[in-house]
Amino acid sequence: MTFTTTQARAAMAVSGWLALAATAAPAASPARWIPVLLFVLFGPGFALLFPQAGQLRPAARLEALALTAPVSLSLAALVATCLFLVKGFSGTSFLVSLAAFTTVAALLPGLPLPAATRGAIERSRKPVKRR
Amino acid sequence: MQQRMPTPVTGSAEVPPSGTSEPEDARARQEGDPRVPLSRRIAELEPQQWLTCGLLVLAAVLWTVSLPMTDFRHMGTYGLLDKFSPLFYFSFVPLTAGFVISLRRAGTAPWWPAVYCIALLVAIKAPTAILYDAVRYPWASKHDAVVNHMLRLGELHPHEALSGNMSAYDQWPGFFTLNAGLVKAFGVSSTASYLNWASVVYGILVIPVLVLIYRTFTEDWRLVWAAVWIFELANWVGQDYFSPQGMSYILYLAILAVVLRHFVRPGSAGTLRSRHNLDPAAAAVPPPTTVRQRAVCVAIIAPLIAAINFSHQLTPVMLCVALIALNLTKRYRNWGLLVVTGIIMLIWDLTMGRPLFVETVESLKESAGNLLNNSRPGYAGKLTGAGPVLQGEANVIMVLAVVVLAGAALLLRRRLVRSALPLLLVSAAPVPMFAVNDYGGEMLFRVYLFGLPGAAFFAAAALVPAAANTGKHRVAYRRITAVALPLALVALVAGFFPSYYGKEQSYYTPPAETAMVTKAIGNAPKDALILSATGSFPMALDRYDELEHWFFVEQEEPENIKMLKDPAGYLGRQISKGTTAIVILTRTQETFTAAEGLLPAGGFAELRSKLEASPKYQVIDRNEYGVVLEYHA
Repeated sequence: MTFTTTQARAAMAVSGWLALAATAAPAASPARWIPVLLFVLFGPGFALLFPQAGQLRPAARLEALALTAPVSLSLAALVATCLFLVKGFSGTSFLVSLAAFTTVAALLPGLPLPAATRGAIERSRKPVKRR
Repeated sequence: MQQRMPTPVTGSAEVPPSGTSEPEDARARQEGDPRVPLSRRIAELEPQQWLTCGLLVLAAVLWTVSLPMTDFRHMGTYGLLDKFSPLFYFSFVPLTAGFVISLRRAGTAPWWPAVYCIALLVAIKAPTAILYDAVRYPWASKHDAVVNHMLRLGELHPHEALSGNMSAYDQWPGFFTLNAGLVKAFGVSSTASYLNWASVVYGILVIPVLVLIYRTFTEDWRLVWAAVWIFELANWVGQDYFSPQGMSYILYLAILAVVLRHFVRPGSAGTLRSRHNLDPAAAAVPPPTTVRQRAVCVAIIAPLIAAINFSHQLTPVMLCVALIALNLTKRYRNWGLLVVTGIIMLIWDLTMGRPLFVETVESLKESAGNLLNNSRPGYAGKLTGAGPVLQGEANVIMVLAVVVLAGAALLLRRRLVRSALPLLLVSAAPVPMFAVNDYGGEMLFRVYLFGLPGAAFFAAAALVPAAANTGKHRVAYRRITAVALPLALVALVAGFFPSYYGKEQSYYTPPAETAMVTKAIGNAPKDALILSATGSFPMALDRYDELEHWFFVEQEEPENIKMLKDPAGYLGRQISKGTTAIVILTRTQETFTAAEGLLPAGGFAELRSKLEASPKYQVIDRNEYGVVLEYHA
């Protein structure tokens, strides 16, 4: 893991807590909703999909970029629904759950999805008929 | 940047070397390598690059200047179409021209078409978010009411019977609970503060997912961005408002992207392994994965599949249909993924979603096989009024334009179609859904929406020929498309506005009208019955867990003709004794019932005057936008 990656992962790990801190700002102010929105839209997904260090598979960055928001939205919806189901929903519990998840995810090496085909089995070596 | 994403070598799973050649290094310096100072990069810009940049700035200036000229408060039958200034429409000329020019260098500078695509999205979808001083689209207001309901209760009641089947939202709550979290975290009073921006946010989030899907099948950045551009213009269906389906659609496409890139079975590429058999623009088949790797991928996308399942009813069905279609190909035959997806769907449908699921399954007995009925748009009525009729016609023309262009690609780009067959199958897969259910008159639009990613790709393929072809016919084809591409893109822009903004009069409600509705519903006693011609007006479902609703014009037109003969008696006969009944009639309802053809011309005014004249209906509030009456038996 290079220094840059470490910094990026550290930033991701604290991003949720910064968003939580932003809720101390006046209600509906940009200083509050912008960091919260950015975190909920990208934080958890980016922490999970952040490309691993080393040589990347083609389009690995594009893949991480494209899937970050969908994964984040899925996780945020899952967390919020679970909190409602256990009758423990509040704005704070919602953000704390996501922030804690993001911190843990940022400390892990990253999902194998962008590298899923790294070391993929060799293709069939049967000769191909040319037209 | 393309030079940082080496192209996979056909027929090998090896990662190609990451080093770039000398000319590529030189180009990288010119195209935006962050190591090169900005001032030097600007100084080295070529005339074409200046033109690309200048046209974007010109379009942005024209659009920004023209927007405040839009008199949206006095819309007539044409909605916003005759309220946008000519300058607004003209801003799309430099925007389209700049995009076409940027496409020429898309291979080395893909960020310029990307910027143009984002600019197009903002230009076509943001005007209402910027201009309106009220919630756009009554259904968005309905979803706002659902979030308020959940915030008020703090828990879910999926099996509680609520008026108007509103408990369905507690059964598929994902989107609403997420927004409850955002409302609390933002510190706003409700989603009404931000929901008008949903279409812009959804549109921006879907762009990289589309690019990922398209890059799986082509290496030609021109084709990728042309397809994204066409997708944006052909996405007039209006499902990208503040809705669960808008969010679920992005998740659906993300799942498809993962499947298309990571679920290729070993040894399944066949003759497509050879570059010789591929269209010059086609990408190599993604490297195959082992069973274990695919199993890991299933675990990774399971949260997305789950999120779709607890957010929306139809999207999981569409996902299963798409996966079944992919299983028809040897390349993507992954029954395990389909089984997992089906199990997740069934678990949700048989637990949280059980009441509506059972009801829907029972209704399938009537709707299954009724193709004509299932494919009709909207309610029972026929569109009336110049604007709605124009919108209906523009919708048909837009569908035909995209289908004809995509059909042309099926004939002209057969080798590309062969390698991109999975995308074609996924896009065609929703069509048989017509045979199953009408989905409240919306199946036609949903089928179109789910078929659009592939349709846009193939439509773009017809307009962006491969650069490598040198045959005589190919050169002629390229010359034709050099003219056809800008013409088609301008025509699609022209078709988008009536398709999207033609019924805007029904979608904008003045704040004074909504204030009257809010006051009437807020003052209604618990368990009161709220009557209105239609539920298509903002705040119609405020406090829906405490009140009963009857939208009495949302039925077949002959029944409405019968009702119009004596509305006071017709309604009174169906109101239970002792029930407090409040009738709310507003201008937005009048516009909607007229546009959808639910009432004959002048029918709404007749309804209102007859109720006001009846001694059993006492006027308790009125303003220039409507009237509130209380029924006394």
